[in-house]
Amino acid sequence: MDDLLHVRSLVNSREGTVKPAIYTDPDIYRLELERIFARSWLFLAHESMIPKAGDFFTTYMGEDAILVVRQKDGSVDAYLNQCRHRGMRVCHADGGNTRAFTCPYHGWSYGLDGALNSVPLEKEAYRDQLDKSKWGLTRVTRVATYKGLIFGNWDATAPDLEDYMGDMKWYLDGFLDRRAGGTEVLGGVHKWTIDCNWKFAAEQFCSDQYHAPYTHASAIQVLQPTTANKADGSPLGEGQTAKPVWADALGGVQFSGNGHGSAFFFTGKPDANVWVGGQVSAYFREHYPEAVERLGEVRAKRLAGHNTMFPTLSWLNGTQTLRVWHPRGPDKIEVWAFCLGDKEMPDDVKDALVKSHARSFGPAGFLEQDDSENWVEVQKVLKGHIARKTDFCMQMGRGFEERRTDGIPGLTNYTFAETAARGFYQHWADMMSAENWGEIEALAKASEKELTNV
Amino acid sequence: MSEIHVCSVDALPSGEGLRVEAEPAVAVFHVGDAFYAVADMCTHATASMSEGYVDDDATVECPVHAARFCLKSGRALCLPATEALRTFPIVIRDGEVYVDMGADALSEAAE
Repeated sequence: MDDLLHVRSLVNSREGTVKPAIYTDPDIYRLELERIFARSWLFLAHESMIPKAGDFFTTYMGEDAILVVRQKDGSVDAYLNQCRHRGMRVCHADGGNTRAFTCPYHGWSYGLDGALNSVPLEKEAYRDQLDKSKWGLTRVTRVATYKGLIFGNWDATAPDLEDYMGDMKWYLDGFLDRRAGGTEVLGGVHKWTIDCNWKFAAEQFCSDQYHAPYTHASAIQVLQPTTANKADGSPLGEGQTAKPVWADALGGVQFSGNGHGSAFFFTGKPDANVWVGGQVSAYFREHYPEAVERLGEVRAKRLAGHNTMFPTLSWLNGTQTLRVWHPRGPDKIEVWAFCLGDKEMPDDVKDALVKSHARSFGPAGFLEQDDSENWVEVQKVLKGHIARKTDFCMQMGRGFEERRTDGIPGLTNYTFAETAARGFYQHWADMMSAENWGEIEALAKASEKELTNV
Repeated sequence: MSEIHVCSVDALPSGEGLRVEAEPAVAVFHVGDAFYAVADMCTHATASMSEGYVDDDATVECPVHAARFCLKSGRALCLPATEALRTFPIVIRDGEVYVDMGADALSEAAE
């Protein structure tokens, strides 16, 4: 172990406390880029965004600019978006189709496979002495795909993607695998910034159902199905369960290991109850039997819930938002939000879903804004000297963890519990203080014991 | 005769290019009703013009540094290229496309 910045003294998952320096310290942030973001599996793109040879999408792994490229043989590779000559971004487009990536600075040009193919004035300036085979784009060490989602990892010794996902795979399947044909990204990518640490957003989607009835009270009230909602008489919450469903205690929060977690609640009927338009709700009801066949009743009905796959990939069932919290310093994130729909959805349902998605969780979404307001304000409070030294309480449901017998995996607890947050921060501290994945895995085993034997 | 067989007329869709291994390598393009052949190597830097972006006005843009060339004359239409691409006659016979390399192309390669 190599706890360079003593982060293990800042997170106490056994007692349920967090010291807020983890959200503000620039040294901790720099170490996160190395030990979290250069060693975890990070979401890069959805396969549907780059279907043809030469299609590409530019994104980030932590703060590193990345090119994701469909190869001529149909496979996908990813590269650092950085010219090997003087470091310029070789591709400035958000995405598209190309045959080469040519640096705008001096004109070095790379093929789809990252190979350096062309150097201006190679003969005259380099006297034909440059070994181009040594100066290809830096390839992302590992790229793997899971049901349409493409991930990258810089660490050759990290566990394979599916081992890394662990029990979280079961929850992700409930989002990606409701119908034959899988999912696709509908519309473009919404991108915006929030002035907060990345862990506020990632932790909330991982573990925090508790905020919903209070933070979102006004939105929930407005969206109750009443004919006054829309001028044409079709209410937003048409056909959906009317009462707040967290009251029935049927749901739960769960920690999947490796920092992943989610919380969910069940709906009495197979309706979305996620404030999507009535047309989308009707679609979910109509295809409920197929979802039951593919996923079983529990996941087919579990249309609502929030999830984080550590560190920065989050999604919401039902509203179908998938987002990455790209870190931009200790006190800023870029949110990249994608709307995921079933490929088999009729076009008019896709249109309705895209609108529902933007209305609820787009940059100006009525639920999105509630959340970011909280995170931004906490970050502002943490400008204070005393505030930064004052412990946060993470004790909800401590000691009431269980393993369910109804087939729902993970270490579970009542819907309102901070079980997944304790797991999230413990894994964070483990990654930050371990020198390699062997150590991370050993620490995870010890931490799980602590979390379950409080 | 110094004709090289390229492909059948139907094998190359309009808007596409094809590299033909020869001395020198040739890029053959199909634009609308016509076929064109030019030297495959860009006159500016190492790049295969057959990979270029073809426009309806019978021009091709180099895939690497975006120089544009006229496919009819070979003329360089913008920087960074200044020298024309060499052009070659196309022969179409019995639904097959040939490029006529000419005697001097072969002797040039021999030099």
